[in-house]
Amino acid sequence: MNIVTNFLKVPYRAGAIVLSIGTLLVILIAAVITLPGFLAPENLSNLLAQSTVLVISALGQTFVILTGGLDVSVGSIISVTTTIMTLDLPEVVRVFLCIAVAVAFGLANGYGVARLNVHPIIMTLATMGIGQGLALIILPIPGGRVPDWLSASVAGSVGPVPNSLFWLIAASLAAAWLLYRRPFGLYLFASGGNDFNARMNGVPVERTVIKAYVLSALFACAAGMFLAGRLASGDPKGGATFGIESVTAAALGGVHLAGGIGSILGTVVGAAILGIVNNVMNLANVSAFLQSVVKGLLLLALVVSQRRKTIGL
Amino acid sequence: MSMLVEMVGINKSFGATRVLSDVRFSLERGSVHALMGENGAGKSTLMRILAGVYQPTTGSVRLRGEDVSFKSPKEARLAGVSTVFQEFTLIPNLTVAENMFLGHEPRRKDGSIDSAEVVRRSRELLADVFPQLDATAIVDTLTVAQQQAVEIAKGLTSNADIFIFDEPTAALNSTDVAHLFKVIRDLKAQGKAVVYISHRMNEVFELCDVITVMKDGGWVKTAKAEDFNLHSLVATMVGRELQNFFPPRSQETGEPMLEVSGLKLHDGGASVAFSVRKGEIIGLAGLEGQGQREIMRSVVGVETARAVTVRRRAGGSAMSAVNVTSGFPNAIAAGIGFIPEDRKQEGLFLRLPIYDNIALGKQLNRNMASVAWRSVSKVREIIKSLRVAAADPGAPVGKLSGGNQQKVLLGRWLLSGVDILVIEEPTRGVDVGAKAEIYRLLRDFSDRGGAVIVSSREHAELIGLCDNILVVHDRKIVGQMPAADATEESILGTALGSSSAEDPRAVVH
Amino acid sequence: MTTSETKHETPPRALNARRAVSWVLGLPPAYYVLAILIAVAPLVSATLINPNYWFVILKQSAPLGIAVLAQSLVMRVRSIDLSVSGVFAFAIYFASSGFLKNYPPYVTVLMPIVVGLAVGLVNGVLVAYVRASAVISTLSVSAILIGVVQYMSAGRAPGSTPSWLRVLTNGNIHGLSYSVIVWLGVTVLVSLAFRYLIVGRYFRAVGDNPRAAETTGIPLARTIFVSHTLAGFLTGIAALVQVSALAVGTIKPGFDTFMNALAATILGGVTFGVDRGGVAGPFVAVVAFSFLFAMLTVFGIQEPGKLIVQGGIIALAAIIYGARTGRV
Repeated sequence: MNIVTNFLKVPYRAGAIVLSIGTLLVILIAAVITLPGFLAPENLSNLLAQSTVLVISALGQTFVILTGGLDVSVGSIISVTTTIMTLDLPEVVRVFLCIAVAVAFGLANGYGVARLNVHPIIMTLATMGIGQGLALIILPIPGGRVPDWLSASVAGSVGPVPNSLFWLIAASLAAAWLLYRRPFGLYLFASGGNDFNARMNGVPVERTVIKAYVLSALFACAAGMFLAGRLASGDPKGGATFGIESVTAAALGGVHLAGGIGSILGTVVGAAILGIVNNVMNLANVSAFLQSVVKGLLLLALVVSQRRKTIGL
Repeated sequence: MSMLVEMVGINKSFGATRVLSDVRFSLERGSVHALMGENGAGKSTLMRILAGVYQPTTGSVRLRGEDVSFKSPKEARLAGVSTVFQEFTLIPNLTVAENMFLGHEPRRKDGSIDSAEVVRRSRELLADVFPQLDATAIVDTLTVAQQQAVEIAKGLTSNADIFIFDEPTAALNSTDVAHLFKVIRDLKAQGKAVVYISHRMNEVFELCDVITVMKDGGWVKTAKAEDFNLHSLVATMVGRELQNFFPPRSQETGEPMLEVSGLKLHDGGASVAFSVRKGEIIGLAGLEGQGQREIMRSVVGVETARAVTVRRRAGGSAMSAVNVTSGFPNAIAAGIGFIPEDRKQEGLFLRLPIYDNIALGKQLNRNMASVAWRSVSKVREIIKSLRVAAADPGAPVGKLSGGNQQKVLLGRWLLSGVDILVIEEPTRGVDVGAKAEIYRLLRDFSDRGGAVIVSSREHAELIGLCDNILVVHDRKIVGQMPAADATEESILGTALGSSSAEDPRAVVH
Repeated sequence: MTTSETKHETPPRALNARRAVSWVLGLPPAYYVLAILIAVAPLVSATLINPNYWFVILKQSAPLGIAVLAQSLVMRVRSIDLSVSGVFAFAIYFASSGFLKNYPPYVTVLMPIVVGLAVGLVNGVLVAYVRASAVISTLSVSAILIGVVQYMSAGRAPGSTPSWLRVLTNGNIHGLSYSVIVWLGVTVLVSLAFRYLIVGRYFRAVGDNPRAAETTGIPLARTIFVSHTLAGFLTGIAALVQVSALAVGTIKPGFDTFMNALAATILGGVTFGVDRGGVAGPFVAVVAFSFLFAMLTVFGIQEPGKLIVQGGIIALAAIIYGARTGRV
């Protein structure tokens, strides 16, 4: 509800969200009409489970993109989290370790970008490599066991409602609360809109940027937990694709890579588009490989339709 | 009665350039204090020190009798100094209300921003000053005039004792100015102190109690407003011997060299036409933001006007059209150069050597696969003839002072061989000594058979430098006068006279 | 310049020494890394200082080296090209799938270059004229290429690369592989072009300040378009060299190529809009990287360790450079 009311209040800041929602609706309608299996409960719960990691990591990514940055280390943090959850340690320690690692990565990224003036792509690429290496050291090949409660919290359902929906809603509400209910949210938009003027007005720009990277890492950590629960094991490369996919989802949802424009609803919609396209093509027996082509074209089409004033990254 | 603010012995330098020397300024409760002076006199810098944007190199600032040194604008605001800056400090993707309270938002008990309260208080404030402004509108969607109104409204949100208004009325129409004056008088009645910076003399005499005049970074005079009249105030502001400062005007000017006609900045607007002759420097004068910048940029094609025809003399006496609508490179090809006001952002490549910056003059409009022009000795010659204070062409341009940077830009176009130069604010950020040199270089350029179009906020500069002055108002030319007969009052009179019946300046609503 | 002028401008000796020190301190991090590696190499293993071993290292670095040169072209003008992996995947698949068997050999040679050039053109149009985000558009182009390859191969590894093409990597002059000669050749060509042609002037100006470039009359969009096109062309050559280095084709050249390319570019002193490392910096960086990995292998350090070292070096290089030059 937060998401919707805030979007209605300040639609400008949500970017080209109407286009994204339209795209989602078209894909949904096409899927329902042409694929009878699409609305089947098993398929829907499958779709949700498949999309949740993407939604959660993309929500974290949104904070960073709103500052005008980019966090490609998200994928490595997801991988590391799944491997830590299989370590032979007390379960509480594993969870705390995951969070501590995520915070450390977020702080390193944020500090490098905000204080040391390193370009976001370069900084997070460096930590992406470190995180990937760490994951491979902890768990060289996929396997291990995660705590049972974690698998259960992901796989089970309350009545007809699959648990993954609760993960998804909780992450979205948390992100919306941070963005629309905390001063941090306004400062995030201000820093992304014009960081110099934001500073002139007393906005703590550096602290805001560091917070954004820490939050991105924490959301990636949550996504990693979910992935570990879903696999019921660890996978040192399980998160690798999400670094880029989370950016893709946010961009599909109308979040501007230049910063200052975007919304939680938009990112959820963007991630949903990606998830549904995957799901539909699976159902329609489209080769998994052709899906990459279709997603690439879709992303190109949406990015091309959002014209910008300046040339650049 | 003790002073609310006392600034004593303020000095400020940026690198090698000294912009303020031994300035004093004091502010009394319940008064409106005008700070007057030409542009570049140091008014804005002084007020930025009071507002915590800059820290003085030496000197003391006392607030309510206590020494203070603000490290940031936020500190100054918390101490009760509220500023409406000349440059906008708005965030484009926030609403009017969010901008007004950014950095000091009303909070709820749980620490979150009370957005309803933000909007409510913004509406309340706006109702007093700019009743037509929508508190929930996004700033990016507003006109320049509306943004200026937001900037002013923002300054009123703090519960401050001192309010600084730096040229608040530049883009406002008369109704909005009247609203603003009422607000300022209310502030005065509440015992607050107001600093008012404006070039509009009538506003100053109407509103202010005390006037301080600054010139060339120094303090000149502080007195009650009644003790000045228009004439004595302008004399105090200008004050210097113009004859020695500017090079002699051209004795004779030749045939028209550049003709601009049918220049329309917006649909249905008036069309602008003028011409420049060989050996002539013409100046575009007027109040700030009346279209001078757009006219200059449209003539060379850096910006695109709705319609424009530019013709220049090509050989003999024939005039040939220059297709500026498809971009600046066409103007360069036709021998027209352009120097932007914001040299650091738009003109120079600060991290590249002086050599590269100048040599570009011979490297524009070339095929990318062709061999680039190279000649260190030729560039050295130019550096020498312009007296750039750096012997080494390999030094980065960013290390030079404002005056030397401007010479590098002039050098670029001298090297390229253009004979028409369009130059915005030729001496912005240039210290006094170097100003005279820039004027001489521009006059040399025109004396060698060139033509120059200049725009400047400093009307004294245009009067001293140019042969003819065009007065621009509301995106059209409302008057033309020989610079030798012009005065700052006559320029302002021409600009404002055109609007005495009905004020056509940009409207907030 | 006349002799008298030169004499006049010769600075005192002390100043020269200070200049030399500041010149050394201003070198890109790659030079330090390489110097340190060469210094410790004899202590680690005698093989590491054998000239033949160096030829092998250079040979292995050639494809990456050319890809880095390509990446440095776009980073100079503040853009980025993430489509390297796509071009590599596409070229390798087509060269090893047997599709081109019935055509004359030059088709096989030209194919990767044409693909690279086409991708560069598309990237250039998207980034410079459509003004789409460089990250997103080059990434999408890469995803499309990889998808096409995987669809056509149906996930199976293709056949072997044409054996005659391997001459490019295996053939040599006095032990120096042809591929290294190609790498050196394009590096010299690019550095000559930057030094003497207009394109070098425009790239520097746009990298330093795009807005000023536009107001000065430099065709901003065209310059960025040209940089992407040239980068695509060079990536095509890199892909060709890569094909010649492989015995059997693969459909997963991976993200590593791109990450290595970016890392070497930064280590070599070229970042977004900063080209202090020139053309030589990234070259030295590639050599340093390959040597470092060779040494790590000697130490028995596996992929994870290498990733961590690589990440650490990128971060360190960027931080040192960021702290010195302002914004990276």
